[in-house]
Amino acid sequence: MPNSFDVSALVQDLEPVKPLRPQIPLLVSALLTVIATAIVIWLQGMRPDLLAGKPDEMFLIRAGVLLLLGGAAAHAVTAMASPSVGRSQNGWQMALGAAVLFPLAAIIVAMTGDTGPAFTAMDSGMRCLGYSLVGGLATAAPMIVWLRKGAPTSPERAGWLTGLASGGLGAFAYNIHCPFNDVVYIGMWYSLALVFCSILGRLIVPRMIRW
Amino acid sequence: MIAREETMRDLMRLAQLGDKQAYAVLLEQAGRWLTRFFASKISQDAVDDLVQDTLISLHRKRASYDPSRPFLPWLAAIARYRWVDRLRQTYRHAADELLDQHSENSHEDEVGAKISIDSLLHKLPEAQALAIRLVKIDGLSISEACARSGQSEPLVKVNIHRGLKKLAALIESE
Repeated sequence: MPNSFDVSALVQDLEPVKPLRPQIPLLVSALLTVIATAIVIWLQGMRPDLLAGKPDEMFLIRAGVLLLLGGAAAHAVTAMASPSVGRSQNGWQMALGAAVLFPLAAIIVAMTGDTGPAFTAMDSGMRCLGYSLVGGLATAAPMIVWLRKGAPTSPERAGWLTGLASGGLGAFAYNIHCPFNDVVYIGMWYSLALVFCSILGRLIVPRMIRW
Repeated sequence: MIAREETMRDLMRLAQLGDKQAYAVLLEQAGRWLTRFFASKISQDAVDDLVQDTLISLHRKRASYDPSRPFLPWLAAIARYRWVDRLRQTYRHAADELLDQHSENSHEDEVGAKISIDSLLHKLPEAQALAIRLVKIDGLSISEACARSGQSEPLVKVNIHRGLKKLAALIESE
């Protein structure tokens, strides 16, 4: 222990602190996802099959994967605020593995020549990107605030995961409106939204959370 | 006195509640533990600086400790972060200032072995670890490291860059 360093200054500065509880940012992100979904429904309307109470199977799978991916990545992000050697948060990798099936299936189907509305419904695709991004920004905010409070030791990874989590939750919000069930459309536009948000997260978040 | 996990965990819990007496003891013990943690890999001056930086980080980020989890792996993650951060900065020191790692620290416990800086370096490919050791830890110039390692100059630079990036990603791994 170096003699020149005066620990008494730190001791005098001590104030009680509440240990970080990851449930708080997760609840706030979940609440913001619900609000984003409500705004999408208000501005764009709900899918007809959902309104009729008979949701399409593809919609259910897509919604489930997006929610699982967003939730698992958000859980990993909030856990990163409290570091510990030997602790791993790899649940998001499983969810990402499931999500990757969409672009893989899209490539296989597209190779047969059936691209569905993926290239003809560009307006809808761009709306998917836009809403996912805006919804993602909203859900990313509590995660970034949490990471700034905590001590994330891998800012770059935290950035990727924040982008992935917020992109997944933002895309889930738009998915309540999105009328398409075509796998090529989903594999292309939803993957683009997730990749776009992840890259933004990697570029923006690390510089905000370094300590 | 060798710090014990349970003792330090209890002290940290009390510190989070605002107990200054417990906090003073904790900082003292954490300082000793960190000195041993860093000592085998860097010079005495750098050890002192890193211990100070890490204790300040402990103070600033004390809310990030989860009292239901072990304390030393949390402290080690903070210490590794500060160490990798320091490695990224350009600094040199004489190799003869290295501490003897077998002084009072030879009885580092199992937890300590798992979370040591050595275990982090061992996770890197050999060429990357060697380049980092020679340039960032032993303080050799790039050309001296080339001669010592048999790697070309661009390769030494690339290995340092990639190795530091990988170290940053491995901070919480055992």
